[in-house]
Amino acid sequence: MTNVGIEAMNVFGGSAYLDVMQLAKHRKLDTARFENLLMKEKAVALPHEDPVTFAVNAAKPLLDRLSQAEKDRIELLITCTESGIDFGKSISTYVHHYLGLNRNCRLFEIKQACYSGTAGFQMAINFILAQASPGAKALVVATDISRFMVVEGGEAMTEDWSFAEPSGGAGAVAILISNQPHVFRVDVGANGYYGFEVMDTCRPVPDSEAGDADLSLMSYLDCCEQAYSEYSKRVTGVDYQQTFQYLSFHTPFGGMVKGAHRTMMRKVAKVVAPAQIEVDFRQRVVPGLTYCQRVGNIMGGTVFMSLASTIDHGDFEEPKRIGCFSYGSGCCSEFYSGVVSKDSQVRQHQLGLQKNLDERYHLSMNEYETLLAGSGTIRFGTRNVKLDTQLIPGAWVASAGKQQLYLKEIREFHRKYEWIA
Amino acid sequence: MNKEEIFKMIVQHTCEVIPELEDHTFKSGDQLKELGANSVDRAEIISLAMESLSLQIPMVEVFGAKNLDELATLLYENQ
Repeated sequence: MTNVGIEAMNVFGGSAYLDVMQLAKHRKLDTARFENLLMKEKAVALPHEDPVTFAVNAAKPLLDRLSQAEKDRIELLITCTESGIDFGKSISTYVHHYLGLNRNCRLFEIKQACYSGTAGFQMAINFILAQASPGAKALVVATDISRFMVVEGGEAMTEDWSFAEPSGGAGAVAILISNQPHVFRVDVGANGYYGFEVMDTCRPVPDSEAGDADLSLMSYLDCCEQAYSEYSKRVTGVDYQQTFQYLSFHTPFGGMVKGAHRTMMRKVAKVVAPAQIEVDFRQRVVPGLTYCQRVGNIMGGTVFMSLASTIDHGDFEEPKRIGCFSYGSGCCSEFYSGVVSKDSQVRQHQLGLQKNLDERYHLSMNEYETLLAGSGTIRFGTRNVKLDTQLIPGAWVASAGKQQLYLKEIREFHRKYEWIA
Repeated sequence: MNKEEIFKMIVQHTCEVIPELEDHTFKSGDQLKELGANSVDRAEIISLAMESLSLQIPMVEVFGAKNLDELATLLYENQ
């Protein structure tokens, strides 16, 4: 069988972050049960950051490790996002330009809420498997920023949406896919997909979100069970507890994943003892939560951020199989799997994801409120603007010397970017 | 189960998820949110209730109850 999967993967978790418990107190949320939600920090996009800069900053370190000949074999670039900046022109065109990729490359964008990253990933896997261009590589970049300002008015869609602000992050994951799956060898054909129409969360107007937290959770839980059920029909002898040494979930916030794991253990693995479920959670799920708890929900890329976290924090002395669950509101979901080795972990450690998160700028509540006040926010459809890189001077200083892209200006809708270093 | 039994069963699961409510006197108009249950707690309570009834329907089918009484009715009708 053809080898296919992730050759390399990088996460960009922003250049500034906020302490989420501080935010919860500031917003006077009920903090008594807030700790159960397992949120810690969230990345916040600065005025000179947009989905393009996030995408490029995630992909650049991967590209820098390739020879020119290898780079030129990238023949498919898919951006996956629900934070599009134009109805027609896709983010992939900017990403292609600033990464200096070969022009003989397919460029386009995919949307399906938080499932977009998996949608792009599976399309790329199939492109490699099809062997239509033997030896070609694909670059998939899931990139999103939160637009947590709630749509005002209405009845159902605004109720109890208070977790959206603390959980909504910003970030991107870049995934290089080829027939050399050094990081994650995909189990070909082991896919359970499940989708149906539901109005749980959405982005019905520019620069804002709407949703119903209860409905979204219910839909997520339904999909978790049904996608796995379909997977188990296609993979002989699969066992939820034994087959996968780790589980990487789409992680809107840790508490939601803990709930989903608990339900799956009870209903699918038939384990009812809470203590036993807790041990399994710590062993198989927590390694994948670490980065998610520091960046927040980055929508399309979240399941891959969880995968990257699992690879960095798991024990891979022996190769291990990881089960991945992806969910995107609206909705579509998928359970799939792959194998990770010690070499995968060594390669991922070289990217220093942990260190990059540690080096981000810690925003104060005042600075965060300054950002929220809107003076720095670029509205959808902005025609001309020069970005203020000094709105949060400390954040700019913290990025100094880094090979990162930033948005300098928009001129007649055309976005112009420059490298910080 | 009849509706009253389902109501009692929901109350029992609510107390499992939020032990602080052990001494609370539950009324039909009580809202889980007002009782301090966050969205994860609410989904857990409904999930446990559905499992107690061995309901094999999607959770989204029992979405929309505004209080405990409505939730008991919804579950009763979907039995």
